Amino acid sequence: MRLRTLSIDAQKCTACRACELVCSYHHEGVFSPFLSRIRVVRLHGSNVPVVCANCARPACVEVCPTEAIRIDRDVGVVRIVEEECIGCGECITACPFGAADFNEEKGVAFICDLCDGEPVCVSNCIYGALSFQPVRSVAQGKRRVTAQLRLASQESN
Amino acid sequence: MIRNISEQRILNVDLTSGQTWVEDLPREELFRFLGGRGIAAKILYQRVNAGIDPLGPENVLIFSTGTLTGTSAPSSGRSSVTCKGPATGLYLKVSVGGHLGAELKYAGYDHIVFSGASERPVYLWIDDGQVEIRNAHHLWGKGTRETDRLIKEGVGDEEVQTAVIGPGGENKVLFACIMVSLYNSASRGGVGAVMGSKNLKAVAVRGHGGLRVAEGEAYFDLATRMRQELAEDAGTESLYNWGTSGSIPGLNEMGMLAAYNFNQVTIEGAERLSGQHLVDEGYLTGRESCFSCSTACHRYVRSKSERYGDVNDSGPELETVMALGAECGIVETEAVLKANQLCNDYGLDTISMGHVLSWAMECYEKGLLKGEAEELDLRFGNADAQLEMIRRIAFREGKLGDLLANGTKRAAEEVGHDSWKWTIQAKGLEQSAVDTRAAKSYALAFAVNPRGPDHLMTETYAEFGFTEESRALIRKITGDERYANPTLLDKRAEIVRWHEDCYAASEALGFCVFTSTAAFAVNPENMAQLFGHALGLEFSEEELMLGGRRIVTVERCFNAREGARRKDDHLPWRMMNEPVPEGPNQGMVTDREMLDRLLDQYYELHGWDPETGIPKQKTLEALSLLELCGDVAQLRVGIVGSAN
Repeated sequence: MRLRTLSIDAQKCTACRACELVCSYHHEGVFSPFLSRIRVVRLHGSNVPVVCANCARPACVEVCPTEAIRIDRDVGVVRIVEEECIGCGECITACPFGAADFNEEKGVAFICDLCDGEPVCVSNCIYGALSFQPVRSVAQGKRRVTAQLRLASQESN
Repeated sequence: MIRNISEQRILNVDLTSGQTWVEDLPREELFRFLGGRGIAAKILYQRVNAGIDPLGPENVLIFSTGTLTGTSAPSSGRSSVTCKGPATGLYLKVSVGGHLGAELKYAGYDHIVFSGASERPVYLWIDDGQVEIRNAHHLWGKGTRETDRLIKEGVGDEEVQTAVIGPGGENKVLFACIMVSLYNSASRGGVGAVMGSKNLKAVAVRGHGGLRVAEGEAYFDLATRMRQELAEDAGTESLYNWGTSGSIPGLNEMGMLAAYNFNQVTIEGAERLSGQHLVDEGYLTGRESCFSCSTACHRYVRSKSERYGDVNDSGPELETVMALGAECGIVETEAVLKANQLCNDYGLDTISMGHVLSWAMECYEKGLLKGEAEELDLRFGNADAQLEMIRRIAFREGKLGDLLANGTKRAAEEVGHDSWKWTIQAKGLEQSAVDTRAAKSYALAFAVNPRGPDHLMTETYAEFGFTEESRALIRKITGDERYANPTLLDKRAEIVRWHEDCYAASEALGFCVFTSTAAFAVNPENMAQLFGHALGLEFSEEELMLGGRRIVTVERCFNAREGARRKDDHLPWRMMNEPVPEGPNQGMVTDREMLDRLLDQYYELHGWDPETGIPKQKTLEALSLLELCGDVAQLRVGIVGSAN
């Protein structure tokens, strides 16, 4: 399969936080940014959505004492099995991005599950700060931007 | 805590005794007053007796969130602040965006009602269920930015949302504002002065809860559809690209760009005040949304100049560049960005500030202001003098700063001669820079606006008929598209009343009125449906608009009880007596006779007494307001109170 990823263009984010609202509703049936798997960090006029990177060698999987976090290769996602989570918070500490958080009511940790392949945050992101695309396309897009920048700098020299 | 949206909670804070307590709002009150602005109007009516000093402890200050704030409904994140206003002595409601409202909801409260006054400076810290009145000695005297920073540092959380006053509010400048979420302003009428009079420096909120609606799927699906429609709405595209000040070139072309204290309606170099210019010249650093809004009309700008230093701030909005810029004869971009930043940091309303200064400039040029004005050479176009006066007004420094801090109505009483004719104010509030001579629905809406003449209680953009959607709305209201013509007097009452109802309902639910009356993807029909899904009941467009009218009527009753009558429903003198001097609208004016005709139609439509403008008993009865506002119907026959 072709691995797809949630790609973030922070420049386009306006911090409307629709992603947080639709995510928490989709997963928990309530509107609460604190239960959203994606969070927008606002930094005085710059806004950066932060979400699980679905690492190939996830720190959360390594530290989980009950092996409740597994890589689901069908969707290409790191997933927490709620029934097996004991709520120790080791994954939250281990995640280098702050992408795992804790549901106090349920007593379990949560991370982005890419909505099983159709992320609701992406379809509600009006300005395209979020997109869901193959990892290869992300890399290819970035290469093309890099190439154009290099070309421009050569031409101006 | 996750709670149901229909279970509203009111946090009461008595600053005199230091006590706080929570009340539950009866559900039927929510159906009747819809939420936010409506609930606040009702509380104000019940808790503030006629004749009290707006800057005394008897006044209340109410922070209200919209009923749907905190949900995925698009552009539903707005809050309001309500009190008896110090500039007018009448009802005052100010709407504001940002993220504070949603945060307050998640902390578990829908409204905060401040009463009394603290002996020493304090701020309110809400950390979910924990409410604490804290010492604000270290914050007093600080600008709004520094205050926000110190609060966040003090509580150890960068993501706290705040509402803060600056020196303007502390010094009870009668047009002091409250800065919300750092960059959004609850601007008008001196709400910041009321906060200052209570020694309340700030409100800081952190909430980790959430909200549940009754009919989840139906609500979520409709909200999602509305967000998509809003994104495709022609009205939002320009707001995203250029912000509100994207209208500057068009207004200048139409001869509707107020300049030089309304002595001109165009200005040379206007483009330098425009949103397009901010983008083209690289001032713009970012576009931002309020909570749950996908329009992103809010701006971040940066400028570096030798003369005005480093400016790094939000805004400026259309009305800001008109008031601080064109009205003061200033078109230098950096100067206006600097003036905007000063007003934000001192916590001052830019609309009133601009019109206070443009009036002072006219007075000075006509020889009525001496002394400090002469030393500063306070002529039109002098940006340095303007910046210095903003500072002096914020601190009430010197005789002139102190005089102007009271607004143009009171200042003109001191300066005398004909200077009152040049004040761009009515009821004591400086009018926004809309030319009410050339658009008659605007004229009527401004004249009857309970807080004074501006576009932020009822703007009737549709009457211009610029877009297909606007023309369709005018057809819906009046039955005929040809009434989409701002120069007509006919049907203006109908157009104004519809917009009043829609504004009140939008703001009760938390919606930004841009999305319901300038863009149209949020409209009474889908607002009513969302409200119904949220609360789990059938709710029609008619019921929603009737709720809006109920709110408008309570606000009217509050003013009637304070002694306001038909004679108070007028426009600034210049709008009624000096015709537009140039351009396509040359010669137009909204004179007494025209205004009287508009008022007659409007009062009749509302069921208000034509002589006094007070709602009739049967009108109150039809809106089931007799119990709340019945005392007002008695005023007409002179049984209770006195009409001053």
